[in-house]
Amino acid sequence: MRLGVDEVGVTELMGVTEHTRAMATTAAALLLDSLETGRPLIAPLDVPASGDVSAIVDEIRAWSAAALGSPDVPLLWRILARNPHYLESTWRKETAVMAAGALGAHDKRRVALGVAMAVRGRYMIEYNAAILRRSGDDDRDILEVLGVVDHYTTLNTLSEGMQIDSDIRPQSV
Amino acid sequence: MTTIRLVDAATVTGKTKEIFDAVLLRERKVFGAESVSNIWRCQGHAPDLLEANWNRSRALMQRGRFSPLQRELIATAVSVANACTY
Repeated sequence: MRLGVDEVGVTELMGVTEHTRAMATTAAALLLDSLETGRPLIAPLDVPASGDVSAIVDEIRAWSAAALGSPDVPLLWRILARNPHYLESTWRKETAVMAAGALGAHDKRRVALGVAMAVRGRYMIEYNAAILRRSGDDDRDILEVLGVVDHYTTLNTLSEGMQIDSDIRPQSV
Repeated sequence: MTTIRLVDAATVTGKTKEIFDAVLLRERKVFGAESVSNIWRCQGHAPDLLEANWNRSRALMQRGRFSPLQRELIATAVSVANACTY
């Protein structure tokens, strides 16, 4: 990191990165093709839910209404709801990792979209793009995220292919 | 261990020199570099590739609506996701 983000910001950035990568893996493992379609590996829980998960599902529904413009609970969360511990721990992590901190929430969401694109996680691409569009990003903004992903995939491929040693160090270290 | 000889910026001429000079100007401004970074030196063997990637770097990393920090955050995360240590 070269532009003055402190250790808290770097750690938050890594949190968004690993969380999105893990979520993209989870969505792919569940055979979730997209937000709207697909035949998932595990059947989603019907909502309204009852019992152990009802409070969390209600919380996600309220979040979805605001962040996605839909009162429907996204499929991924309805599948995780089959295991209350899995659902609660993952949802709590999502809200913690993606909340504003040293980095802004919108910047974090753009990072999440970039990671989802980099790992080719279709469900998480649609998920994060939908949230960004709901909060004001348009096609040009989405394309700007993709441009960075595209260019760094180029640079990453070159540096790994040629085993280039890093010669760039953070100024503060 | 680098698998290719890194082109010495002091020995290049023509298009490669023009691009290396532009890269150094940019990198000095952004992160205080004192020499052309290895990721660009490794491309110096193929000037057309170097030029194409430098033009894309300018188009995608230096122009647009996002701030330099916003682009850098995405770039860093993508590099981690791609398991790139550079």
